[in-house]
Amino acid sequence: MARESLLISTLVELADSLVDNFDVIDVLTVLSDRCVEAIDVDAAGVMLASPGGELQFVASSSESMRVLELFQIQADEGPCVDCFKDGSPIINQALKVPDMRWPRFTPRAISQGFQSVHCLPLRLRGRTIGALNLFRTEQGPFDADDVIVAQGLADVATIAILQHRTSLDASLLNDQLSNALNSRIIIEQAKGKVSQSTTCDMDQAFGRLRSHARNHNLGLTAVARSVVDGTLDANGLDQVRKPKS
Amino acid sequence: MRIVATDRLLAILSLMRKQVSTGGERGGRLCTVAAEFTEQSGAGIALASERGGLTSMCASNSVAQRLMDLEDTFGEGPGVDASSSSAAIEEAELVSPTSSRWLAYSPAAGAAGARAVFGFPLCIGAICLGALSLYRDRPGALTDAQASDAYLMASVAARAVLAMQAGAPQDAIADELVREATFDFAVHQAAGMVSVQGSMSVGDALVALRAHAFANDSTSSELAVRIVARDLRYDPATCEWRDG
Repeated sequence: MARESLLISTLVELADSLVDNFDVIDVLTVLSDRCVEAIDVDAAGVMLASPGGELQFVASSSESMRVLELFQIQADEGPCVDCFKDGSPIINQALKVPDMRWPRFTPRAISQGFQSVHCLPLRLRGRTIGALNLFRTEQGPFDADDVIVAQGLADVATIAILQHRTSLDASLLNDQLSNALNSRIIIEQAKGKVSQSTTCDMDQAFGRLRSHARNHNLGLTAVARSVVDGTLDANGLDQVRKPKS
Repeated sequence: MRIVATDRLLAILSLMRKQVSTGGERGGRLCTVAAEFTEQSGAGIALASERGGLTSMCASNSVAQRLMDLEDTFGEGPGVDASSSSAAIEEAELVSPTSSRWLAYSPAAGAAGARAVFGFPLCIGAICLGALSLYRDRPGALTDAQASDAYLMASVAARAVLAMQAGAPQDAIADELVREATFDFAVHQAAGMVSVQGSMSVGDALVALRAHAFANDSTSSELAVRIVARDLRYDPATCEWRDG
């Protein structure tokens, strides 16, 4: 699909979701997926600031352990931390060892096959609430158009988190961030139950939660919560997405 | 593994350590720290009991205790609402002619000395342990910084309560909170897995995981990585942990 069409349909899909059955983790996952499809990156993910001031992973284009691990390391050091602290983008950082800035992150990223990393701040009215992290398996600079598109998607992510409200109400922002971070924990707890009950891996477990939510028009976090509290059988989730009729 | 803890978290931990050294009974310290850290007149923590409803765990002063007793009596209030909705609750003008929130609780809480009350759920994902409630003797909302601090305090309190339930020694709790990562996906996945292995709630599974870590001088993270790799599992028949 041509990039413009992809971006337009992404924006429409996100606008839809803001009105209907909004689930912040799902929206940010879709956003991460679209980054990978629309621009020349191989993995994308979103980290948000916790009330304590540190970054926490909330969504990614890939649920594989190798990618999640890179986000977990970035609570302490890495491009996202730097980008978040300064509120400014980090573009075209080639990953090389030894790395004095990111002594834990860089070797791990390289061992997972990534050669360069970029990070765009999620900002609204002067406040940075998180970062959009992009990884490439190839070296070489980010295309200038790609940077604009990525920043645009980051801006959409920020608005999505605030659920399209126009005023930056501090207590609302705290609520939304706290809710997003806690939702990710619920999803991890649910992944564990699904993986154990069905012997699928964690990546597939996430896929099942998502497929089930889509097929039944339920929120992703709501499905995960039901699995955790036992009202939805971890063994009874739809395994694949049903085509829309 | 935590390497860097943020300033605000370190401030909480420093207050907790100070409390331990000055004595003071178990859970009470947590509430005293909560009130001081959030700069409010008082704090109380109530935990969800199996029968439903909340049971008071600690209070930083007699007014905070009274407020929790009122919530228990009337079945309404910031802690009750925060716990049942898993969302933060704010009532900045408790004593106001136009307020219709909590018809029984509000006047009684006002008579006890409160003018603003706030409730924050103690949740770790879908494990909801209860609520942290704060009160102030003057009306007004929390500032942005105080609200962030209150969310952080609730998160630390939830983890501290879980550590206590898992049998962590009182003076080790602050150290334990520094050591473990605030977000560790393996720990949460492992709790889900163990809950299925042991046919227990995810909350009980997380406590069991923590307890096993304490007993073996290990960390929840280290055990969780092994559990997710299917190298360690909980055996419900023997209530023991087994390799492989």
